[in-house]
Amino acid sequence: MLTYVARRVLYSVPVLIVASFLLFAFVRVTFDPTARLRQSRDVHAVERARHDLGLDQPIVKQYAHWAGGFVHGDWGESTRTHERVFPIIRRAFWNTLQLIIWGVGLSAIVAVSTGVFSAVRQYSVPDYVFTGLSFVGLAMPPFWFGLIAIQFLAVYPKNWFGLDHTPLFFVGLHSSTAPGFADYARHLALPVLTLTVQIVATWSRYQRASMLDAMSADYVRTARAKGVPRRQVIVKHALRNALIPLVTVMALDVGALFGGLVITEEIFSIPGMGRLFIDSLVSGDANVLVVWTVVTASFVIVFNLLADVLYGLLDPRIRYT
Amino acid sequence: MRPVLKLSRLVCLPLALVLLAAACGSSGSTKNGASGTGTTVAPKDVPTGGTLVLAADQEGDCTDWMGSCGGSSWFFWSIGNLTMPKAYSVQKAGDGWVAKPTTLLTGEAEVTATPKQVVTYHINPQAKWSDGTPITSTDFKFTWEQVAKGNDIYDRTGYEKVESVDDSKPDTAVVTFSDTFADWKTTLFGGNYGVYPAHLMKDHSEIANGYNWSGGPWKLDHWTKGTEWVLVPNPAYWGEKPKLDKVIFKLITDSSAEFQALKAGEVLGGYPQPQVDVIDQISAGGLTDTKAQYSPETGNAEALWMNAGKAPFDDINFRTAIAYAIDRDAIVERLFGKLGVHKALQTVTAPVLAPFASTNAFARYTKNPAKVNEFMTKAGWAKGPDGIWAKNGQPATFEIKTTTGNKRRELTEQVLQQDLKDAGFTVTLNNQKSSDLFGDQLPKGDFQVALYSNVLTSFYPSNCNLLCSKNIPTADNKFSGDNWTRTNVPELDTDYGNVEKNLNQTEAQAANKKGDDALADNVSILPLDPLPNILLTSSKIVGSVADNPIEGPFWQMTGWGLAK
Repeated sequence: MLTYVARRVLYSVPVLIVASFLLFAFVRVTFDPTARLRQSRDVHAVERARHDLGLDQPIVKQYAHWAGGFVHGDWGESTRTHERVFPIIRRAFWNTLQLIIWGVGLSAIVAVSTGVFSAVRQYSVPDYVFTGLSFVGLAMPPFWFGLIAIQFLAVYPKNWFGLDHTPLFFVGLHSSTAPGFADYARHLALPVLTLTVQIVATWSRYQRASMLDAMSADYVRTARAKGVPRRQVIVKHALRNALIPLVTVMALDVGALFGGLVITEEIFSIPGMGRLFIDSLVSGDANVLVVWTVVTASFVIVFNLLADVLYGLLDPRIRYT
Repeated sequence: MRPVLKLSRLVCLPLALVLLAAACGSSGSTKNGASGTGTTVAPKDVPTGGTLVLAADQEGDCTDWMGSCGGSSWFFWSIGNLTMPKAYSVQKAGDGWVAKPTTLLTGEAEVTATPKQVVTYHINPQAKWSDGTPITSTDFKFTWEQVAKGNDIYDRTGYEKVESVDDSKPDTAVVTFSDTFADWKTTLFGGNYGVYPAHLMKDHSEIANGYNWSGGPWKLDHWTKGTEWVLVPNPAYWGEKPKLDKVIFKLITDSSAEFQALKAGEVLGGYPQPQVDVIDQISAGGLTDTKAQYSPETGNAEALWMNAGKAPFDDINFRTAIAYAIDRDAIVERLFGKLGVHKALQTVTAPVLAPFASTNAFARYTKNPAKVNEFMTKAGWAKGPDGIWAKNGQPATFEIKTTTGNKRRELTEQVLQQDLKDAGFTVTLNNQKSSDLFGDQLPKGDFQVALYSNVLTSFYPSNCNLLCSKNIPTADNKFSGDNWTRTNVPELDTDYGNVEKNLNQTEAQAANKKGDDALADNVSILPLDPLPNILLTSSKIVGSVADNPIEGPFWQMTGWGLAK
């Protein structure tokens, strides 16, 4: 298995190089890092900056210089804030990671549980309820649900019960006046809920469908006929196989989430990767954008690899060669 | 031009619709006040202590106010203006605003005009930095040297005309100019930069990520990027001490979330951009215990800027026809009618500078199809069977550019497009990224009509920068001038040029008015609206709360308290 992982990692390297070169070239073509200097009254400012940044060099040479710096930890400087790009990405990444860990963890538990329950009790009232809620979740855009959640779980309860503060907070991840885990949990609850509702709606449908397939498979029927207890059949025989398609979806989704929480982060004022992307895009901060795209692309590649590895762990029929 | 208006967010419109729906169920009222009045309480009755949390919808890129990254007015108003010592500040006087010396000075600076302009500042001997070091003329000299000679400076206007700063006497800074500079009061040693401490730094860029010293009533406690910045009182401040223990500015970039935070009391005030969704949310109600102040007396002038160097706008008759084709009052009513602003701006000089403005210069330009026909015919155009003007087989088609993602401007463009279509013009919209529009296309003349706002950065007209022929960007000057409309009118050069150099206020005002009138005749610009400022504050905030069109809404925060 180690050989397989090593080989996949090696395959990923050229993919990453090609992807990073394309992204670098696209960002360079689309954004000019000296754009902000064009308004400077120093008529030589743009010229000087272009030379300093190596923009007067061919694109391949620019990329080689940038990639060399990137692998050595020199990710360049933001043209917007003049801050090093590495701490900017690190800060945003940490905020997004917190959302993802809590959101994905909770979503996985809820989606698998409801998916399995719906499949096992197909066409029961709870199945219809979960199915209906899934469609509601799928149909509800995150900005809508986020604002409704704020209104009904924060603003209204405060007014209805005459509280000093809202029971749940919706600005940032911490209060500077009263830090602590309780404060952290009150800040996380709503964005995590918003994220969970979207994810669960999709994942639970996958889980239900694959669980239904598994439940009607011959090996499950055989196990039941041989008198294996129902719980054991569901958990050991059906669920393990039914998790395989979901794991693929989960791995791909989680990889994409590192750059895809734009709306959730915007509504809940969380300075994560999504908001960093929008801020950098709007201000034309090319140096941050190029690193952002490469980092998020890397996560997609890494999580694809992870999905492949997990296949083997969940399905012994798959052999690593 | 300082980028006060951050581009609007991608999700603005749908969010606004959600909030409108949500607001239908909420109760309470919003008081729509005229500019200027807050909860006025005698200073001795203002409660002391407490933490005030305010919403900030913009965060600056850095706190190096003179650096190229320090261009956010919002950020300066909420930090720089409260922590940097300034020689002059803009304050209310009767119905208008005036520049007055601050407690940094012992009184008005002395000015002599001949043979060279010399301004002598007498520094208050009590003035000191937060570390106890007196503020001296050396700090003035350091500030000038940094702005005039430093690298990566946002704008050197005024400082480049200073020849020397004599700091031989610590309590007296004698500033000698190489060329007369009328706008010295609110641009130099104040404005959007303040005075920097010579003993604490070698280069202005050292404070890009915050600073722990202060020369104002407040001190920056910390700035957590992307999240918040916190001010605490500066114990060494020699003037009126702040009443509050702490002020937290929480960054909430989404206007819908900002309104929810106000409703929930998570924040007690905000200063949102005058965007369509913001106005709709205010008018939808639901902001209980929150006062809304709308101020059309701003330092902004949103206008249509026509490229007089490019056909067909190089023909004054064509420009005049365009001016008569547009119902500007209807646009203003659509955008800001709910705030009580109904009439179009009739001058390019910002409303806060009313004494300088010919306030009815453009009043003749109302929607008038007969006038459109008259001027288009005079320009040699004739209407085709499709109702579109044409000349030499070419239809009267042109392009309007503005910044992408700004819903208010997009709405304005749509109304303009319809008005102009009715008058026989075909208009296409081609919006651009802010950096591309202002950094490249406008300076290079790559536009026909642009929609954007002129924002004052000091309390003095800067129309010559925008409209004098010496400031037309060309390849020779590497496109560095700000006269992007390529306006080239001798009267404007004379009149607006006089404003720049005349130290006599009355004469400068008269010259600016003459310039405004000449501009209306030339019509390379068509003013639209003043972009009213919106200040939302909880009734829990006690003290005088009012917007300052030049220094923002927090200029009186020292006197604010929180109701117990």
